[in-house]
Amino acid sequence: MSANPVLEGEASTRRASEEPLLRLDAVHKRYGAFEAVAGVDLKVKPGEVVAIIGPSGSGKSTLLRCINQLEPPTSGRVVVGDVVIDADREPSRRELMQLRRSVGMVFQSFNLFPHLTVLRNVSLAQERVMGRSRKQADEVSQQLLARVGLADKANQYPNRCSGGQQQRIAIARALALEPQLMLFDEPTSALDPELGLEVLAVIRELAENGMTMIVVTHEMHFAESVSDRVIVMADGRIVEEGPSAQVMRNPTSERAKRFLRAVAER
Amino acid sequence: MTLEIFRAIAMGIPWTLAVTVVAFSIGAALGAPLCAMRFSSFAIFRHLASALTLILRAIPPLVWLFFIFFGLGFGYLQISPFEAAAAGLGLIAAANMAEIYRGAVAAIHHGQWEAAFALNLSTRHRFLDVIAPQLLRVALPSGATYAIGLLKDTAIASTIGVSEIAFQAYHTSQRTFHSLDVYAIAGCLYILISLPMAWATRWADVHLRARVAR
Repeated sequence: MSANPVLEGEASTRRASEEPLLRLDAVHKRYGAFEAVAGVDLKVKPGEVVAIIGPSGSGKSTLLRCINQLEPPTSGRVVVGDVVIDADREPSRRELMQLRRSVGMVFQSFNLFPHLTVLRNVSLAQERVMGRSRKQADEVSQQLLARVGLADKANQYPNRCSGGQQQRIAIARALALEPQLMLFDEPTSALDPELGLEVLAVIRELAENGMTMIVVTHEMHFAESVSDRVIVMADGRIVEEGPSAQVMRNPTSERAKRFLRAVAER
Repeated sequence: MTLEIFRAIAMGIPWTLAVTVVAFSIGAALGAPLCAMRFSSFAIFRHLASALTLILRAIPPLVWLFFIFFGLGFGYLQISPFEAAAAGLGLIAAANMAEIYRGAVAAIHHGQWEAAFALNLSTRHRFLDVIAPQLLRVALPSGATYAIGLLKDTAIASTIGVSEIAFQAYHTSQRTFHSLDVYAIAGCLYILISLPMAWATRWADVHLRARVAR
């Protein structure tokens, strides 16, 4: 998108006027005395791709899981579209349903359902959550599996698929619910480099088609080339934030510099 | 003579099978809510469930059967020997099956719950579509081992007069004085019933186990 300077100007004015799709206000997550997320503010606009990088234990994954309330924040506010979840009060079941309805998530460990075929993995929630008939759901699933290059695996069980294939199935499963925002929690960390590439290609294709995404990743090249914005986290806080190339090449904070230097030296 | 002894003891087979099947069914069914109580968000249910489990498992099955049949049966409750045996062994089985289910729940990868949450499945569908099918697969081998153990435990039902294999064997030996043959034949019958159960379990385990996330 940013390759075309004419479009870029237009896109940024359009974006500037748009309400953010996701807003985090002072989100904290504490486990006893340990503060995994120590006050994060973040806005993500529709169509934006944000990469979160940082050392292990910096709170990246916890922050991601706070967004869809898999880990309810200890304090702060999460706003996705019209849904406002305040940590001060218990969210109603309906609010949680609404929130998760618009947020899809892909996990490091894929978490496919091992007792269901690939096709049924993608179809299940469409039927249970969206009320699609089995026939409708299976049709949509077939299309999505074709989109991630796995149409021929539809009737296999997940344990017959490689890690890369399983992760692409997991992406198709999340997309089937037509989320507005996709969260990726280290989607390639459990994969060897080659299998990781096929997963990254799918995520790249989603980015090109305008999907709003937050990707927690250790893939620095991917973070720089696919995302619009990179966030560096350390000790539960955002220590650097900005356009991808700038953050990756000229970080300003000491903590981000140290992390990126360590990454570069590997 | 041997054939006659065999015929006499074999009359007990239907009763042995009946007590086993009914007690196991009670246990497999009641074990589920008992296990669910242990995961309840209300402390009272959790404590109640662990207390029940403790009481059911700490008292010997024989004492339970005597308590139900001679104790409750004496004036408090109209109960036949078969009913008393099925109820007593069934309740004990419920406590044991609840523990087996509990172990199975713990064996399912937490990512399965998380994926089900993230996909917005309701509590009911999370359980019915995602967790229960895997739980049954994990619980199957231990459940079947327990069922085979239960088959042998039904012998104590003879003490309250259920005419199952051990009961028939005892009375045949009293009548014929061929005690060695009689109990050897009774033993063989238990083996003959257990073996197909063990084979079926192994077959089912091999075919189902692969599709569980741990």
